[in-house]
Amino acid sequence: MREFDLVIPKSLPDALDALAANDVIVQPLAGGTDMIVNIRARVAQPNVLVSLNDIAELREIRRDNGTIVVGGGARIADFLKHPLLIENAEIARQAAFHFANPMIRNLATAAGNLASASPAGDMSPPLLALGAEVALASKAGTRTLPLDQFFISVRKTARRPDEIISALRWQVPPQHTGHAFYKMGLRAADAISVISVAVVIERAGDTIREARLALGAVAPRPMRAYQAEALLNSQKFTDAIVQEAARLASEECSPIDDLRGTASYRRRMVKVYVARMLRQAWERAK
Amino acid sequence: MNLKIVTLQVNGRTHQVALAPNVTLLYALRDLGYTDVKNGCEKGDCGACTVMLGDKIINSCLMLAWLAEDKPILTVAGLGTAEHPHPLQQAFVDFGAAQCGYCIPGMILSAKGLLDEHPQPSDEEIREAISGNLCRCTGYIRAFEAIRAAAEQIALQGDGQRVMHPLPGAMEEEPANVIPQDDSRGVIE
Repeated sequence: MREFDLVIPKSLPDALDALAANDVIVQPLAGGTDMIVNIRARVAQPNVLVSLNDIAELREIRRDNGTIVVGGGARIADFLKHPLLIENAEIARQAAFHFANPMIRNLATAAGNLASASPAGDMSPPLLALGAEVALASKAGTRTLPLDQFFISVRKTARRPDEIISALRWQVPPQHTGHAFYKMGLRAADAISVISVAVVIERAGDTIREARLALGAVAPRPMRAYQAEALLNSQKFTDAIVQEAARLASEECSPIDDLRGTASYRRRMVKVYVARMLRQAWERAK
Repeated sequence: MNLKIVTLQVNGRTHQVALAPNVTLLYALRDLGYTDVKNGCEKGDCGACTVMLGDKIINSCLMLAWLAEDKPILTVAGLGTAEHPHPLQQAFVDFGAAQCGYCIPGMILSAKGLLDEHPQPSDEEIREAISGNLCRCTGYIRAFEAIRAAAEQIALQGDGQRVMHPLPGAMEEEPANVIPQDDSRGVIE
């Protein structure tokens, strides 16, 4: 493997100092499940890696009034095991269960998965559907972006090289909220999505109070299906509206052909699974 | 090269090794003689390099050795000995679960990771637990049966596992390329 230096700061300010160096290529290292592979493949060519693994505050998972705050160092496994996340991030728990395999889930972080910004990143659609924000910390201060504005294109994000995702935040899902996630992979584990669909729906009687619908692996970046959402919000939940929302979602995505599936197959599957996930989430929202 | 003396605690033994920052835990362990940790894909897909770091199973090919400093590391050789195998190891023998055997060290540790958290796993949980350990020989059936049988046995009798924490002040330099066979400092439960 290529040579690089490794610094292991114990505090966030020390890490941000190290990341501010601009004479060499400095990159943050979280779980390493992407970064180490990328360095070996020469996709990443850092001179210095700044490990975020020994910074206690990045491992925090807490509730702050009505907001869930998850440190940038939280592992995928935390979404399966931490009581606060099990209770307040059901859709992310469902996605975490399908994430790679148990060993990777113990290393990889949710923030790292977002920062890698693969169009097929497993945690992106569920966190988009939760309406999450990312806190980006640098020596100059911390800014907050809605996750949807964080993703720019294939493996491109709004994160500057001197910034790290210090935390993810989302509002505690209200009562009568239902979650449904589907990942189509070519096998059950260790798979890259053909498509993924995440739906979080808040219900008021027979009316959809608010629906958030996110799609993975069908656009240059993980995306919200805003047209479908706009159709659904404040409407009665009917078969007709589900079908129409699914059709809109399949039109507003922009999939490509690749070795996992063709664009037209993906579009058709988006239509099928958006409808199914809307129904599942609706049933669970009771 | 920016070498650092790193303290690695492997199977209850303490090693001090000079390592460059780009050395993965996988290479550090194999160079110390822990060749029971296998090198497969080096991408986190195959699970042959699985070890336990603290109480969690991880892919040692994806972890830089510097980051494993001072944390207890367990490889499959530390789980039991030929005379006193761990119930999982014995079950893999009894069920004939290994063919070429390359995936087995990782698979047994994945199973241990499962049983530590879920002592009485469902069939589905067993399958899920070894989903990151690719085996191209066996079709997984006997490994699955071995894990289920070991879980039942451990539920009845405990796993007889040695305590992995090194004794206070136990700092001993090991010559490289020696596989620690038995560790008299370990405590038999």
